[in-house]
Amino acid sequence: MNKEQLIESAMALKTVKPETLAELSSKQAHLVAKINQTMLERPDIKMLVGENNLEMMKDNHANHAKFVYSILQRPNAQVLVATVLWVFRSYRSRGFHQNYWSAQLNTWINIFKQDLSQETCDDILPLYDWFIINIPHFTNLSDSQLEDVDTKH
Amino acid sequence: MKDNVLMEQKIHEATYQKYLNGLVSANRNLCYEIVERIMENKFPIPILYESLFRDALYEVGRLWEYNRISVAIEHMATAITEGIMNQLYSDIINPERVGKQIIVSSVENESHQVGAKMVADIFEMNGWDAIYLGANTPLGELLTCISEFNPQLVGLSLSVYYNMPCLEKMLRQIHLDYPDLNVLVGGQAISDAKDFLTASYSNVTCIASLDELAQYIRSQ
Repeated sequence: MNKEQLIESAMALKTVKPETLAELSSKQAHLVAKINQTMLERPDIKMLVGENNLEMMKDNHANHAKFVYSILQRPNAQVLVATVLWVFRSYRSRGFHQNYWSAQLNTWINIFKQDLSQETCDDILPLYDWFIINIPHFTNLSDSQLEDVDTKH
Repeated sequence: MKDNVLMEQKIHEATYQKYLNGLVSANRNLCYEIVERIMENKFPIPILYESLFRDALYEVGRLWEYNRISVAIEHMATAITEGIMNQLYSDIINPERVGKQIIVSSVENESHQVGAKMVADIFEMNGWDAIYLGANTPLGELLTCISEFNPQLVGLSLSVYYNMPCLEKMLRQIHLDYPDLNVLVGGQAISDAKDFLTASYSNVTCIASLDELAQYIRSQ
């Protein structure tokens, strides 16, 4: 799947209710703290993010929560795809393993199911399903761009 | 022409590359010298800002993205750029004042500020008094500032999309407190948001470039 096809698939995502945004906003700090704690407790965390990258991982979780809120509030398929590609390139180039993405996204989903209302989960999980389904495409696209730059240097 | 630094009001590619190399190798003096040499020819500041400073900083950001440079180098490149911009003050200040004020700031939580500084400088060049607040100004502080200075205009800069909720919170409150006050918004993230911002906020004008900004100022 190329970038344009990813954008097209993102356009099919539904908008969310104001109540969903309100709950996400009020619990954002708690959710970020919980995913940091959960990921840090994993015995394979250094394999997933690479050596000396734990702080960067925490930055990613905080930025992820802010970005997801903004894109749910003001949906924009181009921004969504461009930003995910940017994140993949930036983190993959620093040694994050491709399995980190599914580990992180599945952890977010588990936390949402524990800490958010059923209505909010129902509203936001399609976006996370879309993230997870497209991990291989984002990985391929971002890794090929990284390889292109490598071959030019 | 004195040398080949300029090419029909454009920065020569070789000059741009030399400047960029200076930025990422911490060679502040080289960067200063390059800009000084460009300005000997009275080069237009808006083109200097966009074709040299902005493009070089975008490239620095791209180099960080591909792990070619560290975040420390990225910050240093920004600091060098801001230092040079401050040195250009004599080229920016305009003795003919128009008696108007603008408050320019980055959005709350937004850590990027070079774009906002560029906008403030362009207003100064056009005789406005630009009150530049820098990065990450809390909404309450901005409102206090508006109350104190009573400007004709407010300019807000947004670089990353995830700060869009902060921008909208600020726009709503400014409109509530000051219904007649117009707000300019610009920055890297605005190109993706122009349509809904102008549709949602009647007092907002989106600015995509310094050239567009200059045209806007002339229309005031």
